[in-house]
Amino acid sequence: MDTVFKGEHLLPGQIGQFFIVLSFGAALLSCISYYFATTDADAKASGLWHKLGRIGFFINGLSIIGIGSCLFYLIYKHYFEYHYSWAYTSRSLPIYYILSAFWNGQEGGFLLWLFWQAVLGTVLIFRSKSWERPVMTVIAASQVILATMVLGVEVFGQRIGSSPFLLLRQSMEAPIFSNPDYLSFIKDGQGMVPSLQNYWMIIHPPTLFLGFAAMVVPFAFAVAGLWQKRYKEWVQPAIPYALFACMILGTGVVMGSFWAYESLNFGGFWAWDPVENASIFPWITMVAAVHVLIVFKNTGHSYFTATFLVLLSNVLVWYSSFLNRSGILGDTSVHSFTDLGMFWQLVISIFAFLILSVVLLVLRWKELPITKKDEETYSREFWMFVGAVFMGLSCFHLLVVTSVPVWNEILKTKIAPPSNIIKHYNVIQSSFVFVIVLLTGITQFLKYKKTEVNRFFIVTGIYLLFAALITALIAYTSGVYKLNFVFVLAMWGSVYSVIVNGKVLVDAFKGKFKLAGSAVAHIGFGLLMVGALISAGTSKVISINTTGEGYSAEFAKEENPRENVIVYRNQPTKLGDYTVTYTGDSISSPNHWFKINYKKMDANGKLIEEFTLKPKVLISKGTMSASPDTRHYLFSDIYTHITLTNAITATEAGSESAEAAHDADNDDKNYDAPIAHDVAPGDTIKYRDGYIVLKALNKEAKVENITLTDSDVAIGADLEIVSHGNKYSARPVYMIKNGNVFDFARKVDDAGLKLRFSKVIPETKKVQIIVMQQPESKKKFVVMKAIQFPFINFFWAGTIIMVIGFFMSILRRKKELKLV
Amino acid sequence: MKKSSIFGLIVIAIAIAVIISVYSNTSTYGTFGDAMKTTSELHIVGHLNKSKELFYDATKDVNYFSFYMKDNKGEERKVVLTAPKPEDFERSEQLVLTGTMVGNEFHASKILMKCPSKYTQDKLEVTEVKAKQASI
Repeated sequence: MDTVFKGEHLLPGQIGQFFIVLSFGAALLSCISYYFATTDADAKASGLWHKLGRIGFFINGLSIIGIGSCLFYLIYKHYFEYHYSWAYTSRSLPIYYILSAFWNGQEGGFLLWLFWQAVLGTVLIFRSKSWERPVMTVIAASQVILATMVLGVEVFGQRIGSSPFLLLRQSMEAPIFSNPDYLSFIKDGQGMVPSLQNYWMIIHPPTLFLGFAAMVVPFAFAVAGLWQKRYKEWVQPAIPYALFACMILGTGVVMGSFWAYESLNFGGFWAWDPVENASIFPWITMVAAVHVLIVFKNTGHSYFTATFLVLLSNVLVWYSSFLNRSGILGDTSVHSFTDLGMFWQLVISIFAFLILSVVLLVLRWKELPITKKDEETYSREFWMFVGAVFMGLSCFHLLVVTSVPVWNEILKTKIAPPSNIIKHYNVIQSSFVFVIVLLTGITQFLKYKKTEVNRFFIVTGIYLLFAALITALIAYTSGVYKLNFVFVLAMWGSVYSVIVNGKVLVDAFKGKFKLAGSAVAHIGFGLLMVGALISAGTSKVISINTTGEGYSAEFAKEENPRENVIVYRNQPTKLGDYTVTYTGDSISSPNHWFKINYKKMDANGKLIEEFTLKPKVLISKGTMSASPDTRHYLFSDIYTHITLTNAITATEAGSESAEAAHDADNDDKNYDAPIAHDVAPGDTIKYRDGYIVLKALNKEAKVENITLTDSDVAIGADLEIVSHGNKYSARPVYMIKNGNVFDFARKVDDAGLKLRFSKVIPETKKVQIIVMQQPESKKKFVVMKAIQFPFINFFWAGTIIMVIGFFMSILRRKKELKLV
Repeated sequence: MKKSSIFGLIVIAIAIAVIISVYSNTSTYGTFGDAMKTTSELHIVGHLNKSKELFYDATKDVNYFSFYMKDNKGEERKVVLTAPKPEDFERSEQLVLTGTMVGNEFHASKILMKCPSKYTQDKLEVTEVKAKQASI
């Protein structure tokens, strides 16, 4: 214990740890003070508790900034005595990824969350007027719970939370740490996982965590409303925050999806991975909540549903945190974190929010303003309520399937998720989407309270029919009609929603402008669904292997997916409409880019389109990790991904040239047995990949560093090689110097050839050319997969439009709000 | 009956339908022995037999990779994946296959492999390989 370790920088860590404890204490102080400021009548008058609550919260905010600064300093300075900087960074990590290293670990994620919650809390302090005390009690409580996650302090032998300032020697046991000079052996950190070294990883996590943090604000209003018995009043101020949470979380999730599409290899924008699912649980329920909150505000109906969904959303934020961070998803997810020993702490946190919600609802049940009267059948409020319930059901389904490992844990069963899980999700979720998008259209024709029935049916009918026509057209041209019928239905609903809301938008510009926000958001969602359905449903693997024969007869009989093709360097390969050539490499350690050239010809063989994609393989610690490259068009994308290659040498990462190690004898082993050809100038030699023409013999050939005397002879053979439509030239040299015969071989690497000029045969006036060609396996190749995604831009554009719609709605709801 | 009660019943019916459809769709973790008895896809957990040959030759067929796996009961089978050989396959400590038996071979449509992470100590990294692009 008393060992003095050399070279450690303990001060920044100690300051950081101090800030962590301070932030925890300040949050606790703020929570308690706000609680008394809310409940104690005397305190209300003096305002002392209130002031103390604010002070506590500000100190909490400042200390979080302090924690962040200390952590940033450690990473930036490469202090590898700290586990965090050792585990996630290395000296070679580019400076702009230092920022993403910050939230690489789970502790960093919690810090981001803490930070955003502090920012939102500060906004609320200044803006929520009479709501400040109860609302801030809840926010501060949430801040306390979050702070325990990074506390890293032992209480009664139980470690609470995981601190980012843990030292390396504290985090693991190894003999090296008994050496006081251990740091001199730790030269570098572990480095960042290659797939995270992407610019989207700088922006995606902060957005996502702002979305998660924002979920607590409507929750706090709902709790405050129930607590303070201001049942109806909380709804209106909560709406803009609820919209904000939906907007940001939605953006964050789709950013993640864009990152996956652009730089991961699973070939798509959504894989139904448990981690992805978990992040949209709270989004779905909060979007549903926004709708019923508006229903309640306008008609007084759906009070319980609205409150329930708002409370549930925040509980689900914690549940999704638990799924991602507890390690429970181990067998089913490729993205989740491992357990940091906080399994039960996370479970307790979920229950803290859950129990608070349930207890308040039960205590106040009799007083809740729940209407006894049913909504009118032909009223907007009724169908909005139905839509919200269906969103809830859609979330319920996601939750049930994603939680399979949790059920296994609780029930001690060993159920495996559905084997074709993607299809399972797609079919069931599309059914819900169909109902939901249909309702986003139909409700536009309904009025609050009561609607004239005949007119409603006629108008709805006409639009549905019109949408059906357009859907038929889209489904037919895109090929969606070949899929499961549910997808056509979902498409129909989405098109319908876009058309109806388009009409609302047009009307909005004519005067009812306040309706524009929801219309824009609905159009965005409709387009998003159309894009998702077409691009996921009709994405086409164009790298289908047509040339390779089946490995075994039995294999060939079945209908087997063969979705990867081998493309040899400089050997054009036909892939669908394209001719694809692997033309070269560009290397900037640790990245290795492959230049893949795509050409499209029309029927007459005229070039109509050409582009080069550069998919990348990153070599790090002897592991290759590939990252695709995508050609974007307005209406479709071409995605290319390297699955395998022999073009990267093991030593490349170590920057030594593998070529230099070869000597001449070894080199010949890289080629098939030599074949000699006796040819005269003008003759042609055929070989596997093309032909070689002996153009001329050149008597003035020169070889570097060799001076020739008069008695010496040097003849060069001018050869032209045509291989797969490419021309190369080479000049092997035959030489007689001081009576000895030499020949200087020439290599044409791009064509995989080695050519020797070995003999002159004066009798026949011919010369002997030896052709050595590389066997297929020695030639450089890449195995790649190419997928075409049609209309994927609808998905991204739809998202952006939806976010704009949310933003417009926030402005509108804020304007309506007159807070006391 | 009130409209809200009818709607409530519908919602409960859908919720039950969801649970049943999920339950009937769930697969099981089994062994090669179980796989012999069924034609439906199932998950098999096991580990790679590193002493036997892992066959992959890109120049012959890029989409054919075979190896031998022992399931948790110790039964060993040849496994075929119609995709390129996953990176670092030899280092895997555990495999979760999804697929069916074809004769004496197990044809995997999906392989989830756990390898010791090179980035984080004591952590197993999970990667997934699919023979076929996911389609809806």
